[in-house]
Order: sequence, then structure tokens, then C-alpha cells
Amino acid sequence: MTRTLISQAQLRRGRGRFLYWAVLAVVVLGFTLVFLGPLYWMVTGALKSGQEIAQTPPTLWPRDPELRNYADAWNNLDLAKLMFNTFYYAAGAVFFQLVFDTAAAYALSKLRPAFGNVILAAMLATLMIPAMVLIVPQYVTAIDLPIVHVNLLDSPWAIWLPLVANAFNIFLLKRFFDSIPEDLIAAAQVDGASPLRTLWSIILPMSRPILGVVSIFAVTAVWKDFLWPKLVMPSPETRTLSVGIYAFSGGTPQNVVIAASVIAAIPTVIIFLVFQRNIMSGLTTGSLKG
Amino acid sequence: MTIVAPHITKQPSPPAPVARTKRSRKLRDNLTGHAFLIGAVVCFALFMWFPMIRGIVMSFQRTRRGETTWVGWDNYTRIVADPSFWIAWKNTFVFTLLALVLGYLLPFFVAILLNELRHFKGYLRILVYLPVMLPPASALFLFKYYAYDPSDAGLFNAILKVLHLPTSEWMQSPGMTIPAMVIASTWMNMGGAVLIYLASLQNIPGELYEAAELDGAGVARRIWNVTIPQTRLILALLAMLQIVATMQLFIEPLILANGAGTQDSATSVAYLIYQHGFFQNDLNGAAALGVIMLLVLAAFSAVYVRLTTKQD
Amino acid sequence: MSTPQYRKVAALALVTGLGLSLVGCSTKSDDDSGTDAAGKTTITVDCQPVGAQKELLANWNADVAAFEKDNPNITIKSVSVGEQCNNPPDFTARLAGGTMTDVFYGYMTDLQQVLDSGQAMDITGLVSKDTIPTWDSVDPALKEVFTDGGKLYAVPVKNYSMGLVYNKTLFKKAGLDPANPPRTWADVRTAAKKISALGGGIAGFSEYSAGNTGGWHFTAELYSQGGDVLSEDGKKAAFNTPQGKQVLQNLKDMRYGDNSMGSRQLLQWGDLLTNAGAGKVGMFIGAPDATQAIVSQFQGKYEDWAMGPMPGQDGPAKATLGGGEGYFFKKGLSDDQVKAGLKWLAYQKLTPGKGQLDYVRAKPQNYPVGLPQPLLFTNGSEAQKQELDLRKANANVDTANFAVFEQNPVPIKGEPRNAQAIYAVLDSAMSGVLTNPNANIDELLKTAETKVNQLQAAGS
Repeated sequence: MTRTLISQAQLRRGRGRFLYWAVLAVVVLGFTLVFLGPLYWMVTGALKSGQEIAQTPPTLWPRDPELRNYADAWNNLDLAKLMFNTFYYAAGAVFFQLVFDTAAAYALSKLRPAFGNVILAAMLATLMIPAMVLIVPQYVTAIDLPIVHVNLLDSPWAIWLPLVANAFNIFLLKRFFDSIPEDLIAAAQVDGASPLRTLWSIILPMSRPILGVVSIFAVTAVWKDFLWPKLVMPSPETRTLSVGIYAFSGGTPQNVVIAASVIAAIPTVIIFLVFQRNIMSGLTTGSLKG
Repeated sequence: MTIVAPHITKQPSPPAPVARTKRSRKLRDNLTGHAFLIGAVVCFALFMWFPMIRGIVMSFQRTRRGETTWVGWDNYTRIVADPSFWIAWKNTFVFTLLALVLGYLLPFFVAILLNELRHFKGYLRILVYLPVMLPPASALFLFKYYAYDPSDAGLFNAILKVLHLPTSEWMQSPGMTIPAMVIASTWMNMGGAVLIYLASLQNIPGELYEAAELDGAGVARRIWNVTIPQTRLILALLAMLQIVATMQLFIEPLILANGAGTQDSATSVAYLIYQHGFFQNDLNGAAALGVIMLLVLAAFSAVYVRLTTKQD
Repeated sequence: MSTPQYRKVAALALVTGLGLSLVGCSTKSDDDSGTDAAGKTTITVDCQPVGAQKELLANWNADVAAFEKDNPNITIKSVSVGEQCNNPPDFTARLAGGTMTDVFYGYMTDLQQVLDSGQAMDITGLVSKDTIPTWDSVDPALKEVFTDGGKLYAVPVKNYSMGLVYNKTLFKKAGLDPANPPRTWADVRTAAKKISALGGGIAGFSEYSAGNTGGWHFTAELYSQGGDVLSEDGKKAAFNTPQGKQVLQNLKDMRYGDNSMGSRQLLQWGDLLTNAGAGKVGMFIGAPDATQAIVSQFQGKYEDWAMGPMPGQDGPAKATLGGGEGYFFKKGLSDDQVKAGLKWLAYQKLTPGKGQLDYVRAKPQNYPVGLPQPLLFTNGSEAQKQELDLRKANANVDTANFAVFEQNPVPIKGEPRNAQAIYAVLDSAMSGVLTNPNANIDELLKTAETKVNQLQAAGS
């Protein structure tokens, strides 16, 4: 155990020890209430009838728990399809970001072609531009892609390709690649390795932590994004979970919307619990050095 | 923030092979380099650089019945004259500021706290990250329907009643709209930031705390003199990301306030862009508003770069 | 290559394969002419009911099958666009993206927007008794709504007018006469007070103020006062008047004077109907089919609901809001496609005894027959008589529930030009008066007026 803000020794002594356990108790209890409480309310709320949910004061446990809302949510909203869409878009986003952004960062860091710096600067210039600013021209572009005149609406490319244009990823990857000693690459070149081979067998194996970080960011981006998928995926069959639940909410009793939300969260929570070690260590030992 | 590759012992580099002809090699290297860049460059060109120019062009045009005409500054004058324009900016700034205080500082202190606790480590981390697992729309519906229910049947009001505190109408009360959005947004988003802070806290060498303690620094002093300087870069980076993210406030007003809220009390600039573009059938006006937002952020980032480079 | 790398390659290959195969699936075959070598015409049509509306969906699919059997040369491809066939931002996005179906659903208020998008097709020359047998019986006023510059752009398929929807069960509980709904706003106020006195979070009167529905209802209530939203030339706002103030004053009095509107505000369509379905709403302004939504989507019961005419300020309402739906045709369709579309609409929407007017089929289902809707045909026309007879013969709801509404007709007034954009602005006035006890009605209307004037100036 490494030394942190407060020393171990201090926490073992009388007053420190008492304080530590008191704080721990408060934190565990408080966090459970703040983060688990609402979820409990959600799961049980969806078991209540419309009348009961509008009742004052609210009941802690549903009087006549009924599964009707859950059944309605599952039947009426094609949740399986929405989940599949969301995971599919996320997987594609990870894949394309890894391939294109890694290749680009490698080129900018190690191959340094002519005008590389200009391109890098033009990419980094977009770092501070939030998606919202460009939403209208981006949307108009996705409808009718210049030169090729393809309409990307309802196609997963409309989600994947814009996500590749992520200056932050390229910046992260390039910084990482910059720190890989030049000699190593020179040595590979002497052995006759092509740039692709160098990237594949020398750079990538060393870059696992950062690739993990980029993947986590990619998944989170797809998971959290709302307006863009809402605009470019207008058909019910292509919606993401978040957009689908929102669209559903317009014509559905509130408890059924909540029930749908509970069901939608289950697979993600399971995936998270299974992979939590990898995700946590991805973020922590990804050596995000301050 | 820097991410550094594991240290590798340097091998002596062999002498460079003699180039056949320098020029052809250089050309070949350039071609390979650009071949690696092409995927990302095409995506940037299509979805960043081109739309940026297109947005500016669109903001000076007007499309009606399939015909596009140049209209000069018309779109800008119309957008600025909209009574909601200034309210939207005010709301967005207030939200950004409040979110900085709550959404930005809170995760940092939560991370410091969690880093000190030696029990229930995994449990607490999972708890903080749980809300991130909900689809954002779901998390907000949870707040809208249950927590912020303005009647006494609402969760928050029921708790306040038990504590004999005055209840609130939450999203319906103009003064509470923005704080309520900040609370919901912080709850659902803070997990990610906490984990990133935790990661960077674990990289602080323990000796620094030891040394500070020997100098007689208390807990607060140690945070100020050791923790914050040691995580300065990540703090600065997340501050920037947070500001850019909160400036785009959209889904919170859309879901929690059904759009504009009470007399525009929830209208954000991003929501206004959406409203002009997709409710009022005015994509050109929305593009103009986008350009204005771009300029504001450009000014902001200029200041940001100034400040951060000065410190270095 | 070491083992872990092989694994990585395998994973990449898997993802790529998955990606390619799925992209393959989503590639759409776009056939522009819509007519293949065998002379078969294909059209896409939207607003197919969603899976949740099981019986409606089954009916729709049965109609498609029957229609294709009668017309072997026509293939109908149905597309569902969600719970609400026309959700304004999605509709706008589809128009902007040109991703509407060949024959697409729209509100009567959408004509201007469809024209602006350059996607509207002039169907004047193609609509006749040949393509739509009942066309001459269709109310000319409805055709007029979809006409611009003498050209027809859509076929009306539904028409409604608004009145006061009320919960009979709550009326009885509150000691009110369920057969005698309030006729004036003052009566509404008195009744709302009594109903909300029942307690338990019941709102005597409930009203929208978000998602464009607030503006929609403001308009309806303004019409009841004899006011209008726009000036005659359609260029200026005309609601900042004593009538407009009266609308807001009535609501303010009920909300904060009597506290009879419940504490939940900022409601939009589904929110109010959720509360209504849960038995927490005494009265609201709505069209007859609001009761259908309460039952089929929001877990309510038919027996609870009845309808009276739109209330007026001191007597019968001066007018009420009428609205409706129709189907537009996408620009660039071939004549054959338009004709096929018209035939389909004729079959599914405008033939008594078929499609949406097949009351024999609808009777045993969980959808109401007997509502005073869809008001498609001219009074006294042959089609109207047929439709009415069938409706009466197969009614599965107590028509008495709508008798007061039907026996007290109020002049119907259409929605203003550019309605959805105006409604978005008026939401703000409604939310102001319903959530802010100190709201200044004059200021609310003044702000809305400024915005609407700008909107109209920009739109013309």
C-alpha cells in the first residue's frame, strides 16, 4: 500500500482510527443512498401503478407490485433491437477509431510526412469545437456527402465516421507514440521492417494501455451521445437506446418508460461488473500521469 | 496530461544504411506517411473542416422552397433579436459556472476521499460509476418523473417534508431550474471524472506527502501543496473538457424541462440551435447561432491557452 | 507474432467481418422509377402503427394484403416512424434529409414547411373520382387546407375539432352532473375547484405547456374567446389582445387563485394523458380521440370519459380549433406511383367500411367506434351517410358520452400558418402562467408577440 494523503499510522491510532471508521461509515452509507437509492426507486417505481406513483407521501415498497409495466416496456419498445444497435455502433466506433486514429497518430509521430505539422495543427484546432456548434452543417453534410453524394441517414457510418475525427484521441496517441524511443524503430527498419510492420509488431504491443483508454472513450462517446444519433438515425429500427427511450416516452405512461430504462441498464451493468477490473485498470494503469 | 510508454532500455542504434537516392526515398516515405493519415484526414475533412466552412457559408444564406439565396447578415440579426437569445446565453453560462463548482470540484474531492479509504474500495467505485451505466435519457427520466416531481409525491419533496424543510417545484420554479439540471447532470456524469482523478492520484509519489507532513502541513495544506500541483495537468485538461461539454447543455433541458422550461428558464444555446433548426425549420438561422457559439468558444480557448501557457 | 497478437488479429477480423456483413444488410436498394420491368409499381408509405398498437398494426397489415390482392400491380412498403407519426423535429429532419417515404404523413399545419423544403408534389391533376371514389364527398374545406396557389399537395385523411374532455367518474365523486359538462370558462373553474377538492393529487383541470402542445391549446382557447393567432395577412401576431389575456387569466386564476390544476406542470402530450389514465385529471381540452389514446396507450378506461363542447367566456364558444392529418407525396414520383398512392389512401382511409373506417372489424377491438370523428365527408353526402350508419351500428363506446359535444357544434377554425413554430413560442407564455405565481400576463404576451412577428417576417 503506497502512502497517500493521510498516513496509515495516523489512521491506526486512537482518534484517527475512530475518525476513519466514522468517515467510512458515513461514506458507505451516503454513497449507497445517493447512488443506489435512486436506482432502487427506479426498479420499485416501475412496479407501481400509475395511481400509486402519484400518491402522497410516496410508498417505499409498492403495495401491489405488478410486472405489467415491465412487460409493456419489453413488448412495446423493441429493446433488444435498441441494445443491439447501441452495442453495434459502439463496437464499430472503437474499431474505426483504433484503426484510423492510431494510423494517423503513428504517421504524425514517427513517419512525419510533409505538411504533417500543418495537418496536426488543423486537427488540434478542432479540439475546442463542441459538436453542437457544427451540428447543422454536419447534419447537412451527412445527408448529402460532398463529391460522392451519398446519404448517410440511418446508416451506422453516420455515427462511426464523425467519431474518427477526434483530435483528442490523435493527440493522446501521438503523445504516447512520441515517448517510444526512436532507436527502437530505427532498429526495426534496419531489419527491413515496413512501417506497417513496425506499427504492428513494435508500437502497438507497447501501446495497450493507451489503446484501452481510447476504446473506453469511444464506447462512452457512443453511449452518451444523444442529439447526433437522434438526427442521423431517424428510423425506429436504427435508434440507439437513449434516443429510443426518449422517443418512446412521448406516447407512453411514465412508469413504463422507467421500466424500459431499468431493463436497458441491466446488460450494461452486467458487462461493467464483469469487466470492471479491466475498465478500472484501463483507466488507472493506463498511466494517465498528472 | 501525458501518457508515457513504459521505459525501454535504449539499444545502441546501428549506423544508418546508405540511401540509394535520397529524393526517391523521401518521396516514398511521404507517400507511406500520407497513406497512414488518409483515413483520419478524410473524416476530419468531411465532418470537421468542411462543415466549419459550410456552417459559415450557410449562415449568410437562406434556403426556401429548394432555392438558396444570399441574405447577408439577416440570419444573424434575426437570431440576436430573438428574445430568447440572451436568456439562452445567460442560462448556459450560469449552468457552466455551477457545473464547474459542483460537477468539476466534487468529483475531485470524492476521488481524494475514496483514495484514502481502505475498505469497500471496489464497492464504492462501482457505486460512483453506476449512473454512467444508465442511458443518459433514462437517468434524466428518473429525475424528471420521480426526483423532481413537483407535487408532494416526488422523492425529493417527500424527503424534504420528512425533514420539515420547505419543498420546491424543482424544474417548474425558475430559480431552481438550473441548479436542478446541474444536480442531475453531476449525478449521472461524475463517475468518469472520479475514476480519472483516482488514476492520477495513485501516481503521486507517497514521499511528497511524507515530506509535507514532516514540514508540519495539515491535511488541507497537503492537498493544496501536494495533491493539486501533482494533478495540475489533469485538472486543467478536465476543466477544459468540462467547460466544452457543459457549454453544449442540451439533453438536460430537453428531457427535464420538456424543452425551454418555465419561460425560457431552461433554454440553452444548444437547445436554441435545435429549436431554430428543427422546430422552426430555420437551418440557416441555426447555423448562424452555431457560428456565434464558435466565436465565443474561440475567444474562450484563446484565454485558456494564454492562462495555461503563462503558468508553464 | 506472439499468441496474444494472433488473438488481436482474430478479434479485428471478427469485428471487420461483423461490420461488413451488417453494412451489407443496411444497404438500401433505391429504385427511383418505382416501376419494374413487369409493370409493378412500388410505393413506400409511412405511419404504419408501431408494434405496441397490436390490433392497429394487424389491421394495417391486413389492409395492405387485401389492397395488394385487389391491385396486383401495386406493392405497398410500409414504414413505421414511431409512436407519433409526426413529431415536429423528426419530421423536419426527415424533410431536410429527403428521407420521407413516397407517400408521407403530415399535419394540416405542415403544408408550408413541406413546400419550403421543396419536397412537395403537386397532385392536382391526378386526384379525381377515378383514383379516389369518394373524393367528391370529401369536405372541400379540408382540401382547401392542403391547397396553395390553387394546387393541391395532400389528401386529408383525418379531421377533428376540440372540446372539453372530462372524467365522469370524478364528476360524480365531486357531486357534479356527468351528463351536463361546463359550458363556460367560469363553469369550468367552479367544476375544477370541486374536483380538485377531492384531494389525492387530482387536478380539476389540466393543461399543457411544453413540447408545442401548450401553444396548440392556447390557440384553441383563444379561438373560444373569439380571438385569432395571426393577423389576416398572416404577417403579424394578433394574440396580444384582451382575448389572449383572458385565456391566460383564466388559467392563472385556476392554477394559483383556486389551486385546482395540480402542481405538475410543463406537461406535454404524453404527460397529461399519463395523469389522465391514472385518474388524476378531471377535465382537459382535447379532441375525441384523446380518449382513445388514454385507453390504448395510457392504461385508462373508456367508461370514465365523456366530452362536451369547447367552453366559451360568457356563453357558447365563439370557435374551436380544428386540425387534422393528411398524406403528402414526395417530389419526383412517377404518375403511376402517385396514382397507386391515391388508390391506397382511398382504400385505407376514405372508403366507408374499409381500412380505418372498417367499424365491423374495429368493434371487438380495444379501439373506440362511435367517436364523433373523423369528420372527413361533407354534411349530407353519400359517403357521410354510409360512414355514419356503419359507425352507429357498430359503436362500442356509449355514444351518449359524446352527445353533448355533438349536439352543441361550435364553428371550427383551422390552425394558423407556420403553426408548429408559433406553438413553440406560445409554450413559453403557457408555462409562465402555469408555473410562476407572479407571472405578468402582459409581458408574457408581449414577448411571444415579438417572437412570432420575427418568425413570420423570416418565414415570408
